[in-house]
Amino acid sequence: MSLTLVGIIGILLLLFILFVFGIPVGFAMGLVGFAGFSYVISLDAGFNMLATVTWDTFSKYGLTVIPLFIFMGQIAFYSGVNEKLYTAAFKWVGHVRGGIAMATVMACAAFAAICGSNAATAATMTTVALPQMNKYNYEPMLSTGAIACGSTLGVVIPPSVVLIIIGLSTEQSIAKLFYGGLGAGILLAFLLIVTVYVLCSIYPSWGPVGEKTTFKEKIKSLTGAVEMLILFLVVMVGLYFGLFTPTEAGAIGSFFAVVIGLVQKNLSWNDFYNSIFDTLKISCMVIVIITGAMIFGRFLAITRIPFDIADWVVTLPFSKLTIMAIIFLIYMIGGAVMDALALLLITIPIFFPVAVELGYDPIWFGVTITIVTTLGAVTPPVGATTYVVGGMAKDVPLERVFQGVAYFLPAYVLCVILMMLFPKMVLFLPNLLN
Amino acid sequence: MDLLIRINKFLNKMLTLTGGAFLIGMILLTCANIFIRQFYIPIRGTFELMGYAGAVVTAFALGYTQFTNGHISVDVLVNAYPKPLKRFISIFNHGVCSAFFFITAWHVAQKALTLKNAGELSETLRIIYYPFTFAVAFGCFILALALFTDFVKVVLPQKEGKK
Repeated sequence: MSLTLVGIIGILLLLFILFVFGIPVGFAMGLVGFAGFSYVISLDAGFNMLATVTWDTFSKYGLTVIPLFIFMGQIAFYSGVNEKLYTAAFKWVGHVRGGIAMATVMACAAFAAICGSNAATAATMTTVALPQMNKYNYEPMLSTGAIACGSTLGVVIPPSVVLIIIGLSTEQSIAKLFYGGLGAGILLAFLLIVTVYVLCSIYPSWGPVGEKTTFKEKIKSLTGAVEMLILFLVVMVGLYFGLFTPTEAGAIGSFFAVVIGLVQKNLSWNDFYNSIFDTLKISCMVIVIITGAMIFGRFLAITRIPFDIADWVVTLPFSKLTIMAIIFLIYMIGGAVMDALALLLITIPIFFPVAVELGYDPIWFGVTITIVTTLGAVTPPVGATTYVVGGMAKDVPLERVFQGVAYFLPAYVLCVILMMLFPKMVLFLPNLLN
Repeated sequence: MDLLIRINKFLNKMLTLTGGAFLIGMILLTCANIFIRQFYIPIRGTFELMGYAGAVVTAFALGYTQFTNGHISVDVLVNAYPKPLKRFISIFNHGVCSAFFFITAWHVAQKALTLKNAGELSETLRIIYYPFTFAVAFGCFILALALFTDFVKVVLPQKEGKK
């Protein structure tokens, strides 16, 4: 059997046990990678590779950035920062038509700057923002759609675990990916806000005007929220000027997030304890997937499948843009049926060489696929963020939440099209790092 | 089986707390390194220690993550299966994964033993690091045990009243 055929069988087997057996993604990749590697080389070499990759991945300095940034986000979450961010945004723009929905998107974007969890953002925003929107008789489709889609900004705006993992698996600068993600995230947030504006212009009853606030109230609302945003700036500026590595940025961010939480008396011992347990659980889940992907990657590398695919794709009689559009379509469909992180780790070894071979900028590619796959967090059948919102908004049927999300989907598509037409929108900030 | 679950719970809680202590240690060490290098020189071996501590943090959370169903899977199809098929799939999954992680734990432990026998030292601090490799093997073993417990739970389901 040729190596290419073994590689193709390995990929099909992986998809089979992932979908038909529902084996956890990291375990499945490890199992298939180990079996394939052992088949091609030998069982002893397979055992050796299994032990070496497990130890090397677990003890890799670069991966220590993951628990550190997750801890920073968890501390911010348990300190109730997102509630304060929402209140601040509400005071500033709540008085315009659809303003509370816009404030929700803004608060999601701001919270994304500290925490990279879609589900955590969606859960808190549903608790905090939905009652306000109900109070002002907002159309449930608009309110729930804005919360669900706004929450997806968590994985685009840095610090984002997805961007960290793309950086580690493609050997690209995490700082550059962060700055690329920042540009893309701001663009997506802007387009989501524009969507709210357009919807409220067409259907004025969907987003009635909220109460006006004084300038003093606006300024006062910033206390409690602005400290964490300053922390975000410290982290990003430190990375920008090369004052510290991403891991050090995560440690500094975590340390000061705890200090801010303690000084403001928003962080109890119980919150701290829960933050640690949640951090360990999330980062372990992520690192297990990475370890599985590393093992699977070793197998793919010996079959030379990624390189063969890259060579084959560039010979196809299609334009670069068409091939990239097909890749994005695959990511969009894949993101709809499986977790974005897992999808990226499985597919990056295959599509990243293709993108590079086609002449696309690696940072641009990494940021764009993050936006494309994040769509999966709000679209059925997986749509985890939509389910969180639908589950918590008891009086809104799930179908209505999905309908609400559908109104925001053009914003994602437009965002990707703009990024394809004007790559500078993503690359402007990362290029400044040069 | 209750005993198995209790052992699992206890071990996972202890290991997660230890992992949490290592995480706090990593934050403090990195912050201290950034602070001290402004005035003096960087703390020697910070990168190495961070890597080893990171290994402990992940390895010691393996069992807890499994115990709290934290590992991501694609359950779109599985959720639609009839109950008996779902049970068969669950037995198969937990059995295979448990065996896989017992094998992983064994071979990582073998690697640790090789490092110990060879007297292998870390590059910067020149310290032995095989204890951290053993810690990773132990974490994999605890994960295998958690998966085995889930396997037993599906094979020998408890009666509602007993729960």
